[in-house]
Amino acid sequence: MPIHERSLIESERVLRKERLVIDGIDVSGDWNLIILPRTVEDYDLDFAKEIMESPDGKTIQQCYQCSYCTASCPVHNYWDDRYNPRHFIYLARLGMVDELQKRVDVMWRCVSCHKCTHRCPKGVLVEDVLKVILRVMYKRGLIGDYPSKKFDQFFTESVLEYGRIEDGELLFGWMEKQGYKIKKDPILRKPIPFFSDIPRWLKDMVSKPIKEGNISFIMLNAKHMLFHPRTKEWNKFKQVLRRVMEEEGALAKGG
Amino acid sequence: MTKSVLVIGGGPAGLSAARALGKLGVPTVLVEKENKLGGRPVLESYHTLIPRKMTPSQVLGPYIEDVQSNDNVKVMLGTEIETCEGEAGDFKVSLSNGEKLEVSAIVVATGFQHFDARRKGELGYGIYPDVITNLQLEQMFSKEGKLYRPSNGELPKRVAFVFCVGSRDRQLGVTNVHCCRYGCALSGLQASEIREKYPEVDVFCYYMDVRTYGTWEYPFYWAPQEEYGVRYVRGRIAEITFNPADGRLRVKHEDTIVQRPAEIPMDLVVLVLGMEPSPGTKKVAKILGLKQDPDSRFIVPSDESGSNIRSNKEGIFIAGACKGPIDIESSMAEGEAAAMEVLNFLGAKVTV
Repeated sequence: MPIHERSLIESERVLRKERLVIDGIDVSGDWNLIILPRTVEDYDLDFAKEIMESPDGKTIQQCYQCSYCTASCPVHNYWDDRYNPRHFIYLARLGMVDELQKRVDVMWRCVSCHKCTHRCPKGVLVEDVLKVILRVMYKRGLIGDYPSKKFDQFFTESVLEYGRIEDGELLFGWMEKQGYKIKKDPILRKPIPFFSDIPRWLKDMVSKPIKEGNISFIMLNAKHMLFHPRTKEWNKFKQVLRRVMEEEGALAKGG
Repeated sequence: MTKSVLVIGGGPAGLSAARALGKLGVPTVLVEKENKLGGRPVLESYHTLIPRKMTPSQVLGPYIEDVQSNDNVKVMLGTEIETCEGEAGDFKVSLSNGEKLEVSAIVVATGFQHFDARRKGELGYGIYPDVITNLQLEQMFSKEGKLYRPSNGELPKRVAFVFCVGSRDRQLGVTNVHCCRYGCALSGLQASEIREKYPEVDVFCYYMDVRTYGTWEYPFYWAPQEEYGVRYVRGRIAEITFNPADGRLRVKHEDTIVQRPAEIPMDLVVLVLGMEPSPGTKKVAKILGLKQDPDSRFIVPSDESGSNIRSNKEGIFIAGACKGPIDIESSMAEGEAAAMEVLNFLGAKVTV
């Protein structure tokens, strides 16, 4: 039978083998190619229930698929149109887990601009809901430690330590965690951008204030690099915060 | 004003027309084919009426009582009209029981009938006992007060509503291309009732689009989803099959949002029936020479008047579901509007 619509057939559903055994019967010789059906055979309603029952996921029920969110989404429009919040909501509500799993490589790409949430005519907290979907998938082992989650952890650690972030440290620390080789000075262990193996856009970003002679900006950043900015009396607050977060299970003990 | 007014049909529209005329002192004859007043809601034991979630006896009970107790209204049950001669102000009508009436005006309120789901063979109605109609579901609620699978009497784990069965369907010819108007809202209500009574039952509505117009939007579209957790899936069910391995039905469709074929197991499938003109409507339209829609055969109002109550024949007024799908509230309002049009036509003066 000719294949009418190749785009509908994912490569993992095509079985092409020298020896093909189906249900214990050796069919090689007769067939060497089988296409598994793409029919949805059931919904995973427990998955959907878990999302709907979490406090930040409840509003998923209010969605009427108008796609205001997707039309507003910068990730969808300027990065990758496979990132489609409306579609994720539909799939999650019915528990079509296999469809969601096909999209795990893009699902973490939300930049939290909250345009979707602010514009939703039905009051769905789209950004929250998408995070819940990711969380439930993570909990079920359907998705690994995705980059945005790792970044959130990195960010949280910095805030916990100092009460605020330092842009340079956050940026270069994160690049280093991503596997880029960051050159550091031998005494203070601070990153030296121009000798590091970092993307072009980052080098441009660093060299821009120097080219433009923006002295006050450079001085402020140098000061922050040498003396990490810190919230007043943070230490006491940090201890309380850490304890609460540990008790709530939001932070690993001793972490 | 010596001659009386004839009202044909004892459903919501006919009852409210006869009641209003009777109360205003107009001698009225109410002719009803069946042996009971109340029309479809009473005859077919509806459970809860949209949009105000009242029972047929709550809504129509007082109207039936008023009509039966009013001396101006003569109710003739089990009677149909046979012929009609004469013109506006002087109609000569003969009835199936041999009586002859002389009336000055006629109100036609002959109503609709439910679509026969057997005509959609692929949906398996009449083949699989667990495929039922929304009318049967209403009767399940009103007569037995519980939800069950007709095949084994057990509570279904999953219920599917199939929208637009016998509506918006050119496959059936030109007769059923209209929207039934009540189906989306009633399904929302029935689905909510199921979820309210049996929270463990999952309910799915398979739709093309949901037409809970006007103020029905919240109570019959959003409340089911937000308060009762009913799920809406976009795709028309193309086929219903039975899987002997697990004894469950499969609803075959394309999930148009995911763009994938799907065959989902269901325990009970409810077909949401469309509305057609009743045989009485077609017959009366023919006898009285009323203009009908060439496709659906519903009676259409006069081209010359902005009022949708006036027919193409002077002195004959039309109200309710004989003109097309309509909800019960509006039907009753139309009955009353028809009564006013009759008074207007008769030139009656009401003194207070």
